[in-house]
Amino acid sequence: MIATIRSEWLKLRTVRSNLVMIAVALLIPIAIVLLTASFIDFTGVSDTTIAELLVGSGTSSVMVLGVIGVLAVTQEYSQGTIRITLAATPNRLRVYAAKVMVVALLAAIVAAVVIGICRLAGVAILEGRGFVGELGYDGEAEVYGALVVMAMVVAMLGCAAGTLTRNPPGAISALLLWPLVVENIVGGVLGVLIDGWKQDWMPFQTGLSALSVSVHDLEFGRWGSIGYFSLWVGVLSVVALRLLGRRDA
Amino acid sequence: MIVVDELTKKYGSTTAVERLSFTVAPGRVTGFLGPNGSGKSTTMRCMIGLDRSSSGSARFDGRAYRDLARPLTEVGALLDAGNAHSGRSARNHLRWIATSNGFSARRVDEVLEMVGLQQVAKKRVGQFSLGMKQRLGIAAVMLGDPQVVILDEPANGLDPEGIRWIREVLRNLANQGRSVLVSSHLLAEMAMIADDLVVIGRGRLVDQCTVTEFIDRHATKWVTVRSPQLDRLTDLVRNAGHRVESSGDAADIHGVEAAAVGELAAANGIVLHQLAPQTGSLEDAFLRVTADSVEYHGGTEAGR
Repeated sequence: MIATIRSEWLKLRTVRSNLVMIAVALLIPIAIVLLTASFIDFTGVSDTTIAELLVGSGTSSVMVLGVIGVLAVTQEYSQGTIRITLAATPNRLRVYAAKVMVVALLAAIVAAVVIGICRLAGVAILEGRGFVGELGYDGEAEVYGALVVMAMVVAMLGCAAGTLTRNPPGAISALLLWPLVVENIVGGVLGVLIDGWKQDWMPFQTGLSALSVSVHDLEFGRWGSIGYFSLWVGVLSVVALRLLGRRDA
Repeated sequence: MIVVDELTKKYGSTTAVERLSFTVAPGRVTGFLGPNGSGKSTTMRCMIGLDRSSSGSARFDGRAYRDLARPLTEVGALLDAGNAHSGRSARNHLRWIATSNGFSARRVDEVLEMVGLQQVAKKRVGQFSLGMKQRLGIAAVMLGDPQVVILDEPANGLDPEGIRWIREVLRNLANQGRSVLVSSHLLAEMAMIADDLVVIGRGRLVDQCTVTEFIDRHATKWVTVRSPQLDRLTDLVRNAGHRVESSGDAADIHGVEAAAVGELAAANGIVLHQLAPQTGSLEDAFLRVTADSVEYHGGTEAGR
């Protein structure tokens, strides 16, 4: 298993487009935080809102990490290397598990780095501009932890979407349209059809909502929402794995 | 030793490979021949578990591919030289393959040198010619120093020097005692490289034998004669019911043994300057034996 994991890591880091995506996942939220901290007019804005700005941009990183998960799988199909991969490691469960572990670990590290840089640089810039409010808050570590976990789960979802579609545009579209479009439409329709329907039952949006500083309105709470989303990702991963096992390479 | 036993692959209602059985012996190059769409590549993919066979099996020294702990140490397969990420360097391409089966980076450098790509090891595969990709594919095959080598059209895209190189590689692999299964459309090349043949058509086994046996069994045979009394001789042969093609001072007589032509000439006092039994090429034998299996025939206009 260790050899397969090392091989998957080598595969991921030796393609320039993957490195570019990792850089994008790092730079987008950092750039947003640096610009926000540099130019925001913080008079009359609550400390919590400022604190939320420092971590909120991490959500964009989460989606980019999902795309990296997609690419880690679909590159294999578009470039034909899946045949070498499965010939070198005929155990397809092992290949899938190794891929998911590598992508999830990478996502966790990127998310942690984003949080660290955004927090440190954001606070330094704000303090340099004379901000005297309190940026720490109760449950701050929990918010950061949720971001790291969501980054891992969305990266795993990317792997599942990539395995299901075997097609980069298809998988990336599915990944991005699910929370942005599909859940709005499906939730809207179900809201009309079912009495007492709650939009929080839409898994992806609920998972992303769990990254807010304040989660009092969430039906399942922070970790319940992430767990609920993870359950969906788990089911999709099992379906993807079964398809990977059955399909011809 | 590879043993393929009753291998069958169906795609819905279409049967791509049907109850195919053959063996590939160690120390020999076995050519895998068949017209386009006859199921060669499908068979190879099923053998190494990339495609799920509908029934039957392929065993490598008695074991299925999926049961090999480090498969690349036992079976090296090159199914398509294009199966490499165009943005990755040749060395990194080999490194991830090597790492998956626990081979060292030093082994990667060894195989790069073996195939003559050490100078371009850091170049991206997307910048490689097809011939260079074939060499890279052979390098990947050799990473684990396997006893079984399976190559699908390895000479595709190679220049004459490359074709000679692949011929030598295959011969050396067989001479080292490995079982080598290789498919190719270059029949003249195959006649030079292969010891044995497995010929399939429409997914079914047509014949398995040595190259010499295959040509002997299936190629056209005729007798070439030269004689100062050629017209008299050809009249006699035609009257005996045999087909004759004359050109200048020579004639090719079909459907008769050389001895019979010689006896006919002697009995009629005809002088012979040449009496030579002739046999067609591997290509001739292949085309005859697979004529019914070819899916698409070219029209005569297109051939002109």
